[in-house]
Amino acid sequence: MSEYLKPLPVIQSFSQPFWDAAKDGKLLVQKCNSCDSSIFFPRDRCPECWSEDLGWIEASGKGEVYAFSVTYEGVEKAFKEDLPIVLAWIDLPEGIRMQTNIVDCDPKSIEIGMAVEVTFKKATEDISLPYFKPAS
Amino acid sequence: MSLAIIGCAEVPTKRDPKRKRWDILKDVCVRAIQDAGITKDDIEAVLSVNPMAQPSMALDMALGRIPETLGLKGCKDICVLNAGGASTTNCLRLAKSFLDSGWAKFVLIPHVTVQSDIPTEALINFFATAPLDPEWEYPYGVTFNGAMGLITNRYMHETGTTPEEMASVTVGLRGWAALDPMSIFHGKPVTLEDVLNSRMISTPLHSKECNFLADGGGALVVTTHEIAKEMGKPAAYELGHDMAFMGATPVLRSDVFSREAYRTSSHGALEKAGLAIQDMDLRQIYGAYPYTQCSALEGYGICEIGEAGKLWASGECGPGGSLPCTTMGDATGRGHTGSGVSMAFYIDTFRQLRDDAGERQVKNCEHAIITTAGGSVMNACTTIYGRSAP
Repeated sequence: MSEYLKPLPVIQSFSQPFWDAAKDGKLLVQKCNSCDSSIFFPRDRCPECWSEDLGWIEASGKGEVYAFSVTYEGVEKAFKEDLPIVLAWIDLPEGIRMQTNIVDCDPKSIEIGMAVEVTFKKATEDISLPYFKPAS
Repeated sequence: MSLAIIGCAEVPTKRDPKRKRWDILKDVCVRAIQDAGITKDDIEAVLSVNPMAQPSMALDMALGRIPETLGLKGCKDICVLNAGGASTTNCLRLAKSFLDSGWAKFVLIPHVTVQSDIPTEALINFFATAPLDPEWEYPYGVTFNGAMGLITNRYMHETGTTPEEMASVTVGLRGWAALDPMSIFHGKPVTLEDVLNSRMISTPLHSKECNFLADGGGALVVTTHEIAKEMGKPAAYELGHDMAFMGATPVLRSDVFSREAYRTSSHGALEKAGLAIQDMDLRQIYGAYPYTQCSALEGYGICEIGEAGKLWASGECGPGGSLPCTTMGDATGRGHTGSGVSMAFYIDTFRQLRDDAGERQVKNCEHAIITTAGGSVMNACTTIYGRSAP
């Protein structure tokens, strides 16, 4: 595997379970055990009710494109070989909206409302990032 | 609570590393104080706009070098304020406290940013990392343009705004800029074709719809309504102010287009001023990306949701139109000077209200509404100014 030169997520102690699961190909959504809110991005305190009693559910991996933007230039060197990069906001049925990339498809085929599903790509031994691709 | 702008100065936006930060800063401070018709020792506080990506200048400002360098012997204290693009707004708010409490009769608010001596890669890195989340956005190659591309994509989808209508915003802004000797794009208008044929950066944003980083500087001198009236000089009187905060991270915002924030902050500011949106002769919208010029008009209640792009396309918001908007040109038309764009907005608003805007002058400009924002449009800070004291 070639060296991963792009910036890695700066992981916090309370978001570690998300990344541990991602390594195993699972997408987690943080839930508040007190008020039942779905939380993105993960915190150590519920942004709705301030409860520190937080847990995780495994997401279905399905989602829908809320917005996308195909980036052709203006990125840092480490991202240049990936151009064009499809930035996307994906709505998950579990009640959160995530920032990610849509991969494994022709950028011109992407539309708002399109069904997508999660796919993981390994960055390092410890970190895999969740991306989305058109639903099969 | 009362504040009036009575003096200003600025330098044209350029990319010219030969213009040094301190040279620009001293120049605009001296000229703004002269423009106000006071002496240097009348300044009792210096509240500086924090320059983004300029750590050495930010420290110089924070640690008191401006009054010392300029010999402002009456200066009682200093502060540098940082809320990104909304920093100037915060300087004005703190200035109001100095004026209301009687601590100061005259406050100097300076800004300078030089980006042309910073390597391009470092600037891309700064503008990608400063407003974006290091865990959930940055690893995906999100840039400022990319984040704004996402919002614009959704805005056009929901409102049915066409690429031509969206491009007409930039045509309008560059139309104002072409008439403005303070703009890097002075004498350089663009056509719809120029915008639509320019390179695609982050869909749907073409290069001419994205920000061009530039150097600039400006300064304001403010005082109380009473002193401004006594002095008998033209002034921009603050009549009302209100604000709304949406959040730091674009993907997390429910008010995706800031429309609600534009609505509540403009209603609040207008209510305090005892005026209606129809009383405004000029609308100054600092959003740095074209969609904000549309969602603000919708939030202000000037048009229905989805109609703002058509208004811009009709030419009514640009030079010669009946609904002049953003005569300052926004970052698209002026060049993006980091936190300096809002400084330029307040200066331009003052100039319009004192009939000093040259070829861009809005006829009979009695009242103006101005909205600024910081970060990746994290907030909306709206102020009503009038040319007459209440």
